[in-house]
Amino acid sequence: MDLTVNLAPHHKTELRLRNPIMTASGTFSNGLELAKYHDVDALGAIVSKGTTLRPRRGNATPRTAETAAGMLNSIGFQNIGVSALIKTIAPVWERWDVPAIVNIMGETLDEYGTLAARLEGVPGVAGLEVNVSCPNVEAGGLEFGQVPEQAAAVVREVAAHSTLPMLVKLTPSVSDIRPIAMAVEAAGAQALTVTNTIPAMAIDVRTRRPVLSTGSGGLSGPAVKPIAMRNVYLASSVVDIPVVASGGAMTGLDVVEFVMAGATAVQVGTATFLDPAAPWSILAEFEAWCAAEGVTCVDEIRGVARRRD
Amino acid sequence: MKSFLAEVTESVRLYGDTHALWLRSPDHLASAVPGQFLMAYAGESYDPLLGRAFSIFRVRRGPGGPEFGVLFDVVGRGTDWLSRRREGDQVRLVGPLGRGFEPRERVQKMLLVGGGIGVAPLIWLADSLVAEGREVTMVLGGRTEAQIFPAALLPSEVELVVTTEDGSLGETGRVTAPFERLLPWCDQAFACGPDPMFEALYRVARDAGSNKPIQGLLEARMACGLGICYSCAVFPRKGGVRLVCTDGPMFDLRDLYA
Ligand SMILES: Cc1cc2nc3c(=O)[nH]c(=O)nc-3n(C[C@H](O)[C@H](O)[C@H](O)COP(=O)(O)O)c2cc1C
Ligand code: FES
Repeated sequence: MDLTVNLAPHHKTELRLRNPIMTASGTFSNGLELAKYHDVDALGAIVSKGTTLRPRRGNATPRTAETAAGMLNSIGFQNIGVSALIKTIAPVWERWDVPAIVNIMGETLDEYGTLAARLEGVPGVAGLEVNVSCPNVEAGGLEFGQVPEQAAAVVREVAAHSTLPMLVKLTPSVSDIRPIAMAVEAAGAQALTVTNTIPAMAIDVRTRRPVLSTGSGGLSGPAVKPIAMRNVYLASSVVDIPVVASGGAMTGLDVVEFVMAGATAVQVGTATFLDPAAPWSILAEFEAWCAAEGVTCVDEIRGVARRRD
Repeated sequence: MKSFLAEVTESVRLYGDTHALWLRSPDHLASAVPGQFLMAYAGESYDPLLGRAFSIFRVRRGPGGPEFGVLFDVVGRGTDWLSRRREGDQVRLVGPLGRGFEPRERVQKMLLVGGGIGVAPLIWLADSLVAEGREVTMVLGGRTEAQIFPAALLPSEVELVVTTEDGSLGETGRVTAPFERLLPWCDQAFACGPDPMFEALYRVARDAGSNKPIQGLLEARMACGLGICYSCAVFPRKGGVRLVCTDGPMFDLRDLYA
């Protein structure tokens, strides 16, 4: 059985994963916490906390809320900033075998370009994941990822400053994900991550106010899996680049489903909060399923759900 | 850090609406110290989804080996589920987690201040300080008598001062008054309770010109307990941001409020 996958097959620098299991941005910090207890090198790839140009303290609390089979978060991009990441985290990643992908987020086109430039050539950084679920402050406040031309502009800006393989993490807050997926592919992205969290809200009946300090937040966890499934199915039907699934993967069978819908790799997010060993146990379950079904590589089942004979 | 299943050995309503759940300790829990916590996962499905953080409230030797207890009020679906576990049931947990209390060596007079259910981690701390032969005075506060941990369940060596807001037990008022009286006596203080209590204790100590270390055990809304989600932020007055689950839950109050 060979479960390796390549997230940048046609790029100068490939992004080879020993298996399709990745961690999701913001659900694994920068990897150092759980690396104390688990073998990170056994995973396909890890993705950093969303990283911005300057350090951010993040939002006021409460930042999370539990919902039925899910959770809301509004962390507000608390992160150490790209300089500290390069200085203190990347050198640790350099000693690891597992590819480390930096999730970046800017508030302007320029910031995306600067972030990409800063990370270019940094040992230990294997790729970028560009989060376009951020309001474009220069253009009316719609998220970059909600307008195909703006999402494409971010991709071109990053590509102009970087030779690293680039995943673009799409937002589910669109009526149809396909035009965005196509625009991002055409602009030069190597892969898509489908998708970020879904805007949502919970109310505290005692205080008669939203639970989260910011009002709304992003929904994740098992509750969103069917939505992510459809978006993976739709996006992978219109692009040739790899699609990475993100949303509600809790078990090895969830990974099988996402791959059948068209995913090349799957990110494990909220599941790790319930069990710090989740990425590893999900990998073991996925391997066991493949072995039991006689599946010898990911491509054998990738997108089979989309086939019509 | 792997999750583990622990078998319930006893479930009791200990006082008022406060439950104690006793579980069989796995070997690795022997390294835990007072003030550390565990994430407990309620239910057998994805609803409720997230773990709940509980301090270890006490350890004991049961007939089948070492056990640990958690102390809680039923405040929601997670604690309701836990309160209905019975002997022989299994609960999934992760831990021990976080930075616990750090009693200084070679100091004798220890002041412990607990507000409401914040008493939980102080019980084990009191047990272990008494076992080390130190002098322990405990100030416990609550709205009413039903919220006060029973004196009979504390080590007899512990000097106990109780405050209730309605005057149903002990002094009428809050823990700050006895804290102010006892602060000059102690070598080190430890506290656990709601956030406003920490700030009040910090103010009392500052206004008294005291620079005695006060270690507070913070509560926060946690999603992971592992330092990977950034849900449990606390913002020190002098700037920056810390995570309660991994930088704490024990903080010197001066590091937060000065
Ligand atoms: C607490 C939390 C923080 C997150 N932070 C980020 C982030 O910084 N950048 C990002 O692109 N996605 C972030 N996400 C989204 C996740 O990476 C993932 O796409 C989403 O949670 C859906 O997957 P899941 O259901 O497996 O968690 C965050 C999610 C959670 C729950
Ligand atoms: S609870 Fe997740 S970082 Fe503290």
